Amino acid sequence: MTTTPHLQTFTLEHLPPGYVMHVAVYENVRNAGFLQKQLLDGNEGFEYAFVDAGVVLSTTHLLAAIYRALRDFQSGRMKSRNVHSEVVFSLSSNNNISESFRRFGITPSTTNLIVVKISLPSKQVSRDEVLKHLTEVIEGESVDFCDEVLGGMVDEKRVRKVYKLGGGKSGIVQSKGEGEKRELEVLVLGGMALRGFGG
Amino acid sequence: MSVQAPPAAIPTPSHIEPPNPSHPASTSPLPLPPIFQHDPAPPQLITQGAEALLYRTTYLLPSIQCALKYRPSKPYRHPILGARLTKHRILSEARVLAKCRKEGVPVPAVYGLDEREGWLMIEWIAGEVLRIKLNEWLKQRKDEKVPEERENAPDGGRIHEGLHVLKGLMGRIGSAVGRMHGVGIVHGDLTTSNLMLRPRSNDTAEGGAGDGDGILDGEVILIDFGLASQSTADEDRAVDLYVLERAFGSTHPRAEGMFSELLAAYGKSFKGANIVLKKLEDVRMRGRKRSMLG
Amino acid sequence: MISIGLEGSANKLGIGIISHPAPGKPALILSNLRHTFNAPPGEGFLPKDTAKHHRSWVVKLVKQAMAEAKVSITDIDCICYTKGPGMGAPLQSVAVAARMLSLLWQKELVGVNHCVGHIEMGREITGAQNPVVLYVSGGNTQVIAYAEQRYRIFGEALDIAVGNCLDRFARTLEISNDPAPGYNIEQLAKKGKVLLDLPYAVKGMDCSFSGILASIEILAAELKKNPEWRDPITGEVITTADLCFSLQETVYAMLVEITERAMAHVGSHQVLIVGGVGCNERLQKMMGLMAKDRGGSVFATDERFCIDNGIMIAHAGLLAYKTGFRTALEESTCTQRFRTDEVFVKWRD
Repeated sequence: MTTTPHLQTFTLEHLPPGYVMHVAVYENVRNAGFLQKQLLDGNEGFEYAFVDAGVVLSTTHLLAAIYRALRDFQSGRMKSRNVHSEVVFSLSSNNNISESFRRFGITPSTTNLIVVKISLPSKQVSRDEVLKHLTEVIEGESVDFCDEVLGGMVDEKRVRKVYKLGGGKSGIVQSKGEGEKRELEVLVLGGMALRGFGG
Repeated sequence: MSVQAPPAAIPTPSHIEPPNPSHPASTSPLPLPPIFQHDPAPPQLITQGAEALLYRTTYLLPSIQCALKYRPSKPYRHPILGARLTKHRILSEARVLAKCRKEGVPVPAVYGLDEREGWLMIEWIAGEVLRIKLNEWLKQRKDEKVPEERENAPDGGRIHEGLHVLKGLMGRIGSAVGRMHGVGIVHGDLTTSNLMLRPRSNDTAEGGAGDGDGILDGEVILIDFGLASQSTADEDRAVDLYVLERAFGSTHPRAEGMFSELLAAYGKSFKGANIVLKKLEDVRMRGRKRSMLG
Repeated sequence: MISIGLEGSANKLGIGIISHPAPGKPALILSNLRHTFNAPPGEGFLPKDTAKHHRSWVVKLVKQAMAEAKVSITDIDCICYTKGPGMGAPLQSVAVAARMLSLLWQKELVGVNHCVGHIEMGREITGAQNPVVLYVSGGNTQVIAYAEQRYRIFGEALDIAVGNCLDRFARTLEISNDPAPGYNIEQLAKKGKVLLDLPYAVKGMDCSFSGILASIEILAAELKKNPEWRDPITGEVITTADLCFSLQETVYAMLVEITERAMAHVGSHQVLIVGGVGCNERLQKMMGLMAKDRGGSVFATDERFCIDNGIMIAHAGLLAYKTGFRTALEESTCTQRFRTDEVFVKWRD
């Protein structure tokens, strides 16, 4: 049933050359517990950002976290172990690192998973290497990294809860449909940008 | 003895260029924020404000437009004072925008920031600042005298209609400002340059009453929160209105008469707005007394 | 045409005589005399004493100005005096003198707004055509730009004037009032190095100084109690000079900022500084750096013109006189409150 696995490769605006992102999405993941254990054990072969797709609204949402992580990496302001853990932490709107892993990172119950691998100028990783390794270790179906797929995986209620955006007066309640989704997204982006500044 | 320029004075050019704030005479090159140092093409400078440069650029991907507000360090300011102000203002502006947006006040969303490098990345707002729109509109009516004078004239139909459009706009501004005050934010620099008119995607929304030209149509978006703060003090709110009133008076003297429309809409916009309007009268009185010796 | 100007809105009595030779030609200053009433250190000048000073000097100064200008009574076209704003008693004493001259010489009176006097003289001296004006003195802090026959106030101090803030701090430190408290603060500030944290109070194009004054006075009191006080960052001993330095750096940064905001708002590249505080070289330098960044330039005058003087009253008065403006004897009052934007500027386009 498996066709060619999807792996999207990006560069982001306003970053120096040499920073390349590889992003893959998997559904029906069956070995999340194993993957999480590799992270907890500090298995160097598993230096990825494993993000639970249930809390990611859109491609923009994830890329924003990667961007924040890379800027903090560049300016020596990272708070966590490495740039990959920093991506997960960058999804958070507060400064609690372990909480951010519980909320945004992989857990044994994760079924829809986003995987990010960052190739740094000092530590380059090729697309093929990533693809090969992921195909070997992840038990799940590779799908496209796009808004349509993410939109089907996200639990907006959960997003609202983790970003504390349930408030009654909020603008997101007033707008409808796509407008509402967009409004939720920009509020999330604002919360992430202000993390650590008492936003 | 003839009057001669003392040494401190610098000779003046014989002719003054017309106002054109978006194209400053660039004798000294503008500082580029460090974030752009790797970009293949220089970003587009939109305006050189007093404290900040506004660039049109991209967020994450080439397809996502954004505005980048950069506060370069000021050569006249002591570096310690400058760093303190820059950090404070970047963070304060970001916090205020995020709060406003969360509470449904029409402002640009926050995308990113770096308080040490002095920049804030925000949502790109299409449209034009009110100052330009209003001047364009007033200019079109310059030959038609001040609207109030002709309101009852037999041929004043078109003017009357025009007046209605201006009144509608003033009302929308009043509501937007009131909404902001209602959520506990004061702007600190309300001028007609810090209000935008964003074109609506469809004409069904509020305020789109057409007198044909549609110059004053659009959604009012509040921008430039560089001097904003969180406050629910009536005094601060009243000063906000006073600053805006004076901005109308000094920049668009011909539209000043319509300010009461703005205040009327403001009065209905949140609980306690009428107390602010009372306070505004005090602030105005103080303003007039201010020319005496301290 | 020739006019004589009498100024006495604060502690300076100024008499000036100016000639406007022909349209398009620069004005000629025939004489410009000033006598200042200085209070002892630690004190401000009181209206009553200041008025007395003006009354006792005005005749002498007028006579001297006429002699220096080498003009006779018949050469004078009009008598210009400061109508306001300013301190009541000194204004009145000079208005009385102007009325006396008007009756004695059979010349018409022209009441002049003090702020407009500063602006017009600044424009004449520097050649700045249409600048944003920062008017800073002991009694006024205004950012002004011309539009449609008025000098419109874009920003101003919401409480005390910047000069008043400096003067009062000079009193706290018991710095001499001679030649001016602000001048002596400036000299002390040149020796300052440590920048102390003071409130920075800008609201749009407005600003306020009372909070800064309160803060710097607290710091001064602390310094008095603890002369060994050191800057926590640099370890340097903090001195009175550092207080003056910090005060100047903060309040002038605020003034430059509100001026720049007004320039951005009206799209002007020129700035003119007038008023007594405008003599401050640090302020002029900071303003110059700002203007340069905006591709513009700063215009400032020296102490002959930025400190209150009679020639500016003669000049602005004559501009009005030439457009037909007169102040009838029975209307030749003065007023403590007289906003810059109340004057109809008929002589400009």
